Amino acid sequence: MATHAAAPRQRWRRYGTSYLMLLPFLGLFAGFLVWPLANSLYLSFTKFDGVNAPRFEGLENFRRLLFDDDRFRHALGNTFIYVVASVGIGTLLSLGLALAFNGSSWPHRIMRTIFFLPSVTSSIALMLLWKWIFNPGDFGLANTVIAWFGGRAVEWLATPGLTVPILVLMSVWGGMGYGMVLYVAGLNTIPQEYYEAARIDGAGTWQRFRRVTLPLLRPVTTYVVVTGLIGAFQVFEAVYIVFRGTNNIGGVLDSGLMIVPYLYDQGFTHFKLGYASAVAWVLFLIIFALSMVNLRIGRALKEL
Amino acid sequence: MRRTTAATCAALIAALIAALGAGCATSGTSETEQADANAPAAITWWSTGGDDESAAFQKAADLYTRSHPNVTIKVQTLAWDDAYAKLLAASTSRSGPDLISGGMTWTIQFGLRGGMVDLRAYGIEQLQAQAQPAQWKSAVSPDGTIYGIPLDMSTVALYYRTDLFEKAGIKEPPKTWEELTTDIGKLKKSGVKTPFSIDWGNLDWIGYFNFLYQAGGAFYTPDCKPSLDTPQAEQALSYWIDLHRKYGAPTDTVTTSDALDQGIAMVYGGNWNALGIDTSKPEMKGKWAIAPLPAGPAAPTTFIGGRAVGVTSYSKHIQQAADFVKFLYTDEAVDAVTAESKARNVSYIPPRPDKVADSPFTPEHAAVFAEIIKTGAAAPGCPGWDESASDVAKQFQAAILGKADVKTALAEAAKVMERNAG
Repeated sequence: MATHAAAPRQRWRRYGTSYLMLLPFLGLFAGFLVWPLANSLYLSFTKFDGVNAPRFEGLENFRRLLFDDDRFRHALGNTFIYVVASVGIGTLLSLGLALAFNGSSWPHRIMRTIFFLPSVTSSIALMLLWKWIFNPGDFGLANTVIAWFGGRAVEWLATPGLTVPILVLMSVWGGMGYGMVLYVAGLNTIPQEYYEAARIDGAGTWQRFRRVTLPLLRPVTTYVVVTGLIGAFQVFEAVYIVFRGTNNIGGVLDSGLMIVPYLYDQGFTHFKLGYASAVAWVLFLIIFALSMVNLRIGRALKEL
Repeated sequence: MRRTTAATCAALIAALIAALGAGCATSGTSETEQADANAPAAITWWSTGGDDESAAFQKAADLYTRSHPNVTIKVQTLAWDDAYAKLLAASTSRSGPDLISGGMTWTIQFGLRGGMVDLRAYGIEQLQAQAQPAQWKSAVSPDGTIYGIPLDMSTVALYYRTDLFEKAGIKEPPKTWEELTTDIGKLKKSGVKTPFSIDWGNLDWIGYFNFLYQAGGAFYTPDCKPSLDTPQAEQALSYWIDLHRKYGAPTDTVTTSDALDQGIAMVYGGNWNALGIDTSKPEMKGKWAIAPLPAGPAAPTTFIGGRAVGVTSYSKHIQQAADFVKFLYTDEAVDAVTAESKARNVSYIPPRPDKVADSPFTPEHAAVFAEIIKTGAAAPGCPGWDESASDVAKQFQAAILGKADVKTALAEAAKVMERNAG
């Protein structure tokens, strides 16, 4: 009995100071993350217009969202296409850049810095720059280049078929430098002996890449893909700044409508904060499920 | 064992939701205790727009303080991009400004949810006679409550390149739809690549609004039934589509000053462009002018927007704030705002049509805006319109981009309006 009572006291003596030092962070974490999250979970079961008290409605928001809301389904479809394309292409290009510029020579360092620059630049500034590039008429950079070759100006931001490809392009361009740095770090941890052994066994460049580099980069790939997925599912600024029209957040014919802009639209322009919270939680579940699948696949491949 | 754990989890979640529900249910609309009407009052006004506009409104506020020394008013700027979200946050927490100004329908939207004061209790109707009738009507909520009144006006004009007109042998700006399309043909022949474009309202319901009303149509009947199944609505949409697909108006939006600078000969642009073109494009000086939009088969009607101002229900100084709102329509307040707007190059059109001719534009431009406003019409104030506007616009976009025919697009738009009318 005495030993039982002594154990917590002993633990407190040992870790008490650490717990006390953690308290300020825990306070902020609880106040600014856990509490709002818990509130948004509650609000997702209510009808709440932001002004009047929320009214509990059970699962009604989720039912409407999943079975009655064509616009949400459209946003979901757009988002999936965007996520697959931007994460897929972005990861491949990141790896390609890392393989091309993983040395310690000055040209490689300079190239890495150049490709990493978009990651440390304000995303708002970048989006405004893209908006200018795709500006219609003669002074938009894209149309100016087309005009040099005698082509006709393209209405980039008002052609629904071009919206998602433009969003993917912006995302890949802005994110591949970050992925490249992670891959370079991963490449540098691969012992050279493995390559030498493979070479002695007669492996060519492709085989060395496929049998040595790729498997050993799997943890980095998993990280790049998972963080890429999370970021891509939450795309907002690109749609809001580049494609938003006077009355419509998703661009012409909602061609660029994604889940988070849709959430914003419902919550902050249509006063449907309960419904917007439900969208947020559905998005959370999708990201959570996909991240789990990704991690499982990574683990399964490792065991092969 | 597993069942017990699952049950415990379910109970925990239920408890969490119930607890949060109890916690949150206390937040909501409640009467705000009013401060003593004779005690000093510090009023805050969140004004959506730019800093220069706020500075112009501050002049009116300072004038009010001069005659009411107990009341001080501070005008703070909210940028258009995030104003709505900030106002919503203020409404939710029931703390924030005493006065808000923003989009024409914002005060109605917040008001219908309990966030604004019905200004009829403070004799605001007496200002109606001074306001532009259509704009006043659009500021009044469908049930007749007045949560906000027009603070200023904005409208659309035809901006055109005088040098290109001369080159094409066109003596004056088009006055009718027929003249507009004829002039587009002449300009094209004279070598102008893109003779016409729309800036404000491009691919949006505001763009259609002008054509619809000019054709004699309307979005709703007077008793608020959707009325897009009329020949006028079809004629307007067909004409608008033709301007894009037959006469080459860009579907992508080019701002008025850029459009004129790039050699687009005619642009439908907002009044705020009139003060900015010579500054942002000095090489355009003397090469452009403005005129009212070409009239349709029925009327020369043009869209009038603007901002509305109202008093929040959570203000502690409702009486003083409402009195100041009334003061904004006095000669001295309008003149003060106009003078400061002139000094700061702000394109302010006062909410009183009799004062538009004195607005900060050149006398010629002010005269054009005064003429446009005489026949102006404003956004429908019918229930469900705000919820419908973006979906209605999408139907028009589908028609312009060739993804739906005129009749289908209008029928779908009417369906949306009907559904949201409740």
